[in-house]
Amino acid sequence: MTDALGGLRVLDLSWGPAGALGVLLLAEHGADVIKVEPPGGDPLRGYDGHAVWCRSRRSVTVNLKDPAGLEAFRRLAGTADVVVETFRPGVADRLGIGYDALSGANPRLVYCSCPGWPEGHRREHRPGWDALVQAASGQQWEQPGWRPGPVFLAVPLPSVAAMWLVAAGILAALVDRERTGRGRHVRTSLFQGVLAYTTQIWSWVPDGGSAYHAVMAKTHPPGIHQQMVFEVADRRWVHVSMMSGLPPRRSMDDVVGVGAEPTDAERFGMLSEAERAEFTARRTEAFRSWDRDALVAELRANHHAVEPIVPAGDALGAAGAPHPQLAANGMVVEVDDPALGRTTQVGVPVHLLGTPGAVRGPRPAAGEHNTEVFGELGYSDAEIARFTTAGEMGAA
Amino acid sequence: MSALAGVRVIDFGQYLAGPFGPMILADLGADVIKVEPVTGDGMRPVTKPFVGCQRGKRAVALNLKDPRGVELALRLVATADVVHHNMTVGVADRLGIGYEACRAVKPDIVYCNTYAYGRQGPLAHFGGLDPLFQASAGIEWDQGPVEAGHPPLYLRFGMADTANAFASVVGCLLALLHQRRTGQGQELWTSLLDAAQWLEADTLLVEGEPRSRPPLDPGQCGLGPGYRLYATQEGWLQVAAVTPAQWRALCQAVGAPELAEVDPAAERERCEAVLSDRFATRTALGWSRLLDDAGVPNEVALDTNEGELVLFDADAERLGLVTDSPHATLGRLRQFGPLVQFSGTPARAERPPPRFGEHTREILAELGLTDAEIDELHTAGVVASPPDPYPWPV
Repeated sequence: MTDALGGLRVLDLSWGPAGALGVLLLAEHGADVIKVEPPGGDPLRGYDGHAVWCRSRRSVTVNLKDPAGLEAFRRLAGTADVVVETFRPGVADRLGIGYDALSGANPRLVYCSCPGWPEGHRREHRPGWDALVQAASGQQWEQPGWRPGPVFLAVPLPSVAAMWLVAAGILAALVDRERTGRGRHVRTSLFQGVLAYTTQIWSWVPDGGSAYHAVMAKTHPPGIHQQMVFEVADRRWVHVSMMSGLPPRRSMDDVVGVGAEPTDAERFGMLSEAERAEFTARRTEAFRSWDRDALVAELRANHHAVEPIVPAGDALGAAGAPHPQLAANGMVVEVDDPALGRTTQVGVPVHLLGTPGAVRGPRPAAGEHNTEVFGELGYSDAEIARFTTAGEMGAA
Repeated sequence: MSALAGVRVIDFGQYLAGPFGPMILADLGADVIKVEPVTGDGMRPVTKPFVGCQRGKRAVALNLKDPRGVELALRLVATADVVHHNMTVGVADRLGIGYEACRAVKPDIVYCNTYAYGRQGPLAHFGGLDPLFQASAGIEWDQGPVEAGHPPLYLRFGMADTANAFASVVGCLLALLHQRRTGQGQELWTSLLDAAQWLEADTLLVEGEPRSRPPLDPGQCGLGPGYRLYATQEGWLQVAAVTPAQWRALCQAVGAPELAEVDPAAERERCEAVLSDRFATRTALGWSRLLDDAGVPNEVALDTNEGELVLFDADAERLGLVTDSPHATLGRLRQFGPLVQFSGTPARAERPPPRFGEHTREILAELGLTDAEIDELHTAGVVASPPDPYPWPV
């Protein structure tokens, strides 16, 4: 067996990034993932990022509102090790494809649900779009902005945290199944994704006092890491890390040419307000005199860890060469997408040396594998045509 | 029994990106042993982030610069399924707890090393903190948003640290499942650089040219008139009118019917100006009820008071999303709870973050050492238990 998940089959009923990317982590380590879409196709197919979310899998379409379609899906689920869905709580049960309905015939099935809000939560029946979870969980208030109040998070943080929870939950249940022989219902949510990101700051002790609760509190202007963001020439930017694990050869300010060697007062921040303003102005001017890439090279040569601050595509090569270490890690991959053409995408982020993962192929067209998948279950072409195309599956 | 019952993890990590992954494995039911230097985890003085990454573990303090400390570490590894740490390239080998040393005592071990940059390549020798990888992945650029004339903006909490920790959890579980199915162990690694880039997985180039999401507006409110925050008379409201029907319903509900047939993406500024004026005339809660009735998805943006409203939320408590446990120096500690639930799994008794060396004697006794031997190792500085007075806040 050359893949960690060789021989395991996953049915992916999910819409949106949390389910699709969670499943992608399994697909690219060898699971046979079949995306199950409504006859018209996943409604998010028009979004460019969908080409990444849904690569490395096969696709079937099924009308789950048609009894023949429902029966076909259930037969398919009988061949599966894992089912993943992101409907609101109760919807899968109503459709007849919930955990209870499927695990009776297939007790080894691992069934993962990842709605916006957890089952039993007072918001469980409200829409769970990422931004709504950002808002009602408090994540928007927790992040710094250029004005008071909550800020919209450009990266869909609840979803891209939940993607890891989907994969980890499924894998833990599969490990458990090796011991017990039984599958489980694995439940997480976008809301729990938000909680994952609060680990460093959301804790409470009754007598912690202000010192405990002030650690890493939100501040205006934003905190210590933001102060290491520097503008260089041509309105470009770098972020310097406060540590690199290597002994510096020259100080950052010396490399940048802030002027006289920094005094201890400068190093340790013990300056008057006027002195601080003067020093900051000098430092700002020195940074602005540097070409970005030349400064990055010079700082790294002196053992300072630094990165250019770039749009997301730059790391993949949008502005020339891709990020050299990202490329060395095998994380910049070419994928020929049937709809978009030649694309460059992020690679597989978990590096198993014994059973390496790999991109298995581009995003399939909706229903591309209907004949192949349902044919294996004994369906004729005429039967397949009926339940894979007729009608519309109701939106969740 | 928990999902990972019977799985033992040895956690040699320090700071955040290392220890957080094993904490999640402990949440999932693994027996996690934190092996800490006799000088203490460098993060212990910073109370909040420290306790956020250590729940559910037992702690043993070993001096890995002493050959007898290394020998004890390897005796622990011999009882384990997974080794996990975040040392920079080459350090674990030098200490004598690299993959080859661990495999020699446990042939099917799963061995995970998380890095800042990677295992080999031009920057592999560098360590580095979370902000570097929010920078490289585009997160700071998007959040500025720089395209709108703002400086880049760093997001709090260590997004890259968290992502890397989760990537390592997924990696350990992939390798553990493979080990359970085939008997073969293996080595694996993850990095802050790679995991952060996965937070921007939507990004792709077509024929070398970037395609990306609609940009954040200069006011940091959202991605378009139907999917953004609006300031109201009191509080802020997040609206998610994602279908044409919901957009029409939104325009009708707020009293801007003239926009109902306008394409909000094409006339973003005009629509946002009109809707912003309308939303300023009522409270967020008032608008939320009105939009609920109109079928427009929305939520009031919650100020949690540094998490307190979530940690004490009745639903969060009832659903087991928070834990509350006694703690030796803090008195009591409340945190978010397990992030994944499993059917047929009773709730576990929670273990609070361990004190330095709290389980040194217990774990050495499990290895078969006598009290006299354990005393002698303490005297020789090879192992340590909590000192009195205790010098750390946690």
